[in-house]
Amino acid sequence: MSQEHEHGLPPKSSVSRWFLTTNHKDIGVLYLITALFFLVFGGVLALLFRLELISPGADLLGSMGYNQAVSTHGLLMVFWFISPFAFGFANYLVPLQIGADDLAFPRLNALSYWLYLFSGILMGVSFFQGTTFAGGWTMYAPLNTPAYIPGEGLGATSVVLALIMFTAAVTLGSVNFLTTMYRMRAEGLRMRDIPIFSLSINLTVWMMLFAFAALLAALMILASDHILGTTYFQYSIDGTTMATDADNPGASLLWAHLFWFFGHPEVYIVFFPALGVMAECFQTFTGRRLVGRKWFIISMVLVALQSFVVWMHHMFLTGINLPIKTIFMATTIGISLPFDLMVFSLIYTMAKGRVRFTTPFLFSLGALILFIIGGITGVFLGAIVLDYQFRGTYWVVAHFHYVMVAGATALFGGLYYWYPKITGKMYNETLGKIQFGVYFLGFNLLYFPMFIAWETPRRVFVYPDGLQIWHSMATVGGFILGASFLLMFYNLFVSLWRGEDVGPNPWEYATSAEWAVSSPPSLENFPGVPSYATGKLEFLDDETVAERTERTPGAAAHGHAATDGGTATDGGAVTARTAVTATAMETAHEVGGEDHASHASFWPFLVSLGGFIAFLGLSGVRTGSVFYLSIAAVGSLTMFGSLVGMTREPFHAPEMAIAERWPFSEVEKMKLGMWTFLASDIVLFGAFIGSYAFVRVAYGWTAWHHDLIPAEHVTMPGLINTYLLLTSSFLVVLAMVAAERESKRGTVAALVGTFALGVGFLINKGIEWNHLFHISTETFPNGWNLSTNIASSTFYLTTGLHGAHVIIGLIICAYMTVRAWNGAYQGDDRAIEYFGLYWHFVDIVWLFLFPLFYIL
Amino acid sequence: MDWKGYTVIYVVLFVFATAQAVVEFAGLVDSAYWAAFGLIMVLSVIKAVGVAAYYQHLRWEPRAVTYLVLGGTVAALALTGAAAYSIL
Ligand code: HEM
Ligand SMILES: [Cu+2]
Repeated sequence: MSQEHEHGLPPKSSVSRWFLTTNHKDIGVLYLITALFFLVFGGVLALLFRLELISPGADLLGSMGYNQAVSTHGLLMVFWFISPFAFGFANYLVPLQIGADDLAFPRLNALSYWLYLFSGILMGVSFFQGTTFAGGWTMYAPLNTPAYIPGEGLGATSVVLALIMFTAAVTLGSVNFLTTMYRMRAEGLRMRDIPIFSLSINLTVWMMLFAFAALLAALMILASDHILGTTYFQYSIDGTTMATDADNPGASLLWAHLFWFFGHPEVYIVFFPALGVMAECFQTFTGRRLVGRKWFIISMVLVALQSFVVWMHHMFLTGINLPIKTIFMATTIGISLPFDLMVFSLIYTMAKGRVRFTTPFLFSLGALILFIIGGITGVFLGAIVLDYQFRGTYWVVAHFHYVMVAGATALFGGLYYWYPKITGKMYNETLGKIQFGVYFLGFNLLYFPMFIAWETPRRVFVYPDGLQIWHSMATVGGFILGASFLLMFYNLFVSLWRGEDVGPNPWEYATSAEWAVSSPPSLENFPGVPSYATGKLEFLDDETVAERTERTPGAAAHGHAATDGGTATDGGAVTARTAVTATAMETAHEVGGEDHASHASFWPFLVSLGGFIAFLGLSGVRTGSVFYLSIAAVGSLTMFGSLVGMTREPFHAPEMAIAERWPFSEVEKMKLGMWTFLASDIVLFGAFIGSYAFVRVAYGWTAWHHDLIPAEHVTMPGLINTYLLLTSSFLVVLAMVAAERESKRGTVAALVGTFALGVGFLINKGIEWNHLFHISTETFPNGWNLSTNIASSTFYLTTGLHGAHVIIGLIICAYMTVRAWNGAYQGDDRAIEYFGLYWHFVDIVWLFLFPLFYIL
Repeated sequence: MDWKGYTVIYVVLFVFATAQAVVEFAGLVDSAYWAAFGLIMVLSVIKAVGVAAYYQHLRWEPRAVTYLVLGGTVAALALTGAAAYSIL
């Protein structure tokens, strides 16, 4: 194929293709392969500590080695393997299933992938910084703050930063998928009609959008305690004693709340895509539509909502009060009900259809069986009194492996199921079935004994002698499970050459749209514009589309091209903020352009590389080492420069001429992307403000002000800053009005005013902070700085995060001012409007920070 | 909306911000803390809704966008409220 046909991309046989690609199918394949790599990484660690557990005692890895292996195994599997693996499928299949030619923002999609890969590399590098993270995948604080980490703890900091980078990737991905699914569905395809896998991804992404924002807040706070020296999770303020005194009584529960508010939705984030795969395979291999499909979907929606109100069942053994425990026991029982419905729906589908026992079906069925066992044992844990016994034991370990690895089981089924689609070759069915047998045997031999040996304390390498036999069985099972993957890798690898060629649809009863096109599909996915207007899938040619759009001008009104790109500043946790800048910068670009521009971009790779180097540097800056400081600087510059490069690179991903867009038909994709991002930002700030409220309630709400805050901390600077921000918001609106009226002078003047007021805000804040740092009073002889007490920590970090948002906004504003000066935006104020959405949001946040941190 | 409408909103926001500070300067925060707390937070909420509805044009967008924003807000409030309640 010529380069032009490939949208400016080199052929797949060339290495550079994989660095430049922004195509969803390429990126899907990259995700799948990378995730499998992390599966092996995490799996080898698991085999190591299973060997350790053959006998009680740490004679193989040593105690610290054991802790590291267990902790990083958990983190790798939960974050770097299972969800990215599912999102490999999602990337590949969602556009195909909904009739789109790619995701809404292809370059952001590439950026997500590279951020993910480099976050994993950072995790890998942490092993070489003395010791890596060793405090359990749940990262409980204060345990995981530097004060309680043996040695320098730089590896642990790197892992926290790696997770921040990972979360940035997830947030970008969530915004991208949601925008895609609400703006790019084929004509006639209602939300409830999209294939069940895509639906499960839709709900997963919704949960991700909000849950990962809470995790991001938790991680930023933890990173700040690591790097900046705030004391959110510190019990004692002088740093010399570990007394659990009254200085910060909320310290230990704060992490638990933030983490589990994310953590419980996360378990469904892990499981939903698997559920989608199971439903697809059950339908295809029983030849039957899912029984009670409507109820299945309603159940999924319910679970997605309910998943946000069960998190305290992970905290039954903490000091939270009994009424709230009881409430959360009830909500936990509540969430298992819709699950029962889904399980029955799958069973009935099987009972009513004619089953074909192919490898993907076997894996799906196996997943269902394992999930039922895991789910039932979870209900035990959800009962407060039983959990008093089970918490912190291998019962929990067995439970969550049964459910989580059941999810993974379904995903391996998905790998077999879509392998012919992705490669155009059929795998070896016999070998596949053998793998399933070995896998299922290994799995149960590994995890079932854990229920029997449940009295083993988790995360510890000693256990009662009488339980040794069960642990030895589990170790053997672990190796059998591991070996089954060798079969899978062999099968899938060899079939690339030896496999039979397949046509579009190797499965008799597969009906979703990906099976209607060649295997693998062409770069643009479909031979025409997909439409379900007549009730079945058709491909419209350009003429029909033109005719149709003429008749309904509204439908085509949004058919212009837009670019996607990004920029960000360095420092702090700004990679995470890439999302906003990216979305906002995109709008800063002129709208319009040709259709067949290049879809190759090297910038996503470079941005992520820069972010990786910057974060590696950040992990060590607290040592003051020149090496770490300099790579932090180099990395930040690389990242910032690449973001600018990405913004300036022409890149066109036009909106579809005709598409189904309920309920966002009037919200064009840039605007929808921005709003979706802002929704996650609301949760981020909400979690920061929530943390502040929580530690303040723990301390005593009214005593806080009197005890911890110096009299020099007055209202006036906050009030002035409120005026400055309000006025700047007003000016952005005026810039919009001026652009609409095609007054270049007015636009430029208003934007310059916005910029000046924002700078004034920062200067005022700088003066204020500098003053507070250097006060010397009776209560605060050494100033009031980040480490002084919990009140100062919350004040500087929360308003600092807000300040970082202002800085990002100013960079975008400066960029737009220059463009306006050169004549942009006249008669088309959309770019300014989208920037305004962000800027007004920053304003709104301040409207709450001002009273909370300055008056009350 | 034209610039006059936007200006009216701006003036209201400005006045409300001043009112919040006046509540403090008048000593209400010291004498009747929770009344002052309620008053000040209500003013903040009104301001935020004003900015969102008019400057961010939520009033004129499809309701779904408002629900999206409310979804994030409710999630954050649920976290804050339930967490704070759990230690009361
Ligand atoms: C059927 C509904 C379920 C119920 C009622 C349930 C209940 C629970 C409870 C109460 C705990 C806390 C146990 C403790 O630490 O003492 C727990 C732990 C856990 N569950 Fe579930 N669960 C269910 C389904 C799932 C699913 C579907 C997944 C994932 C796919 C999952 C993954 C986990 C994980 C990872 C943990 C352990 C967290 C840790 O490291 O402490 N659960 N479950
Ligand atoms: Cu849970």
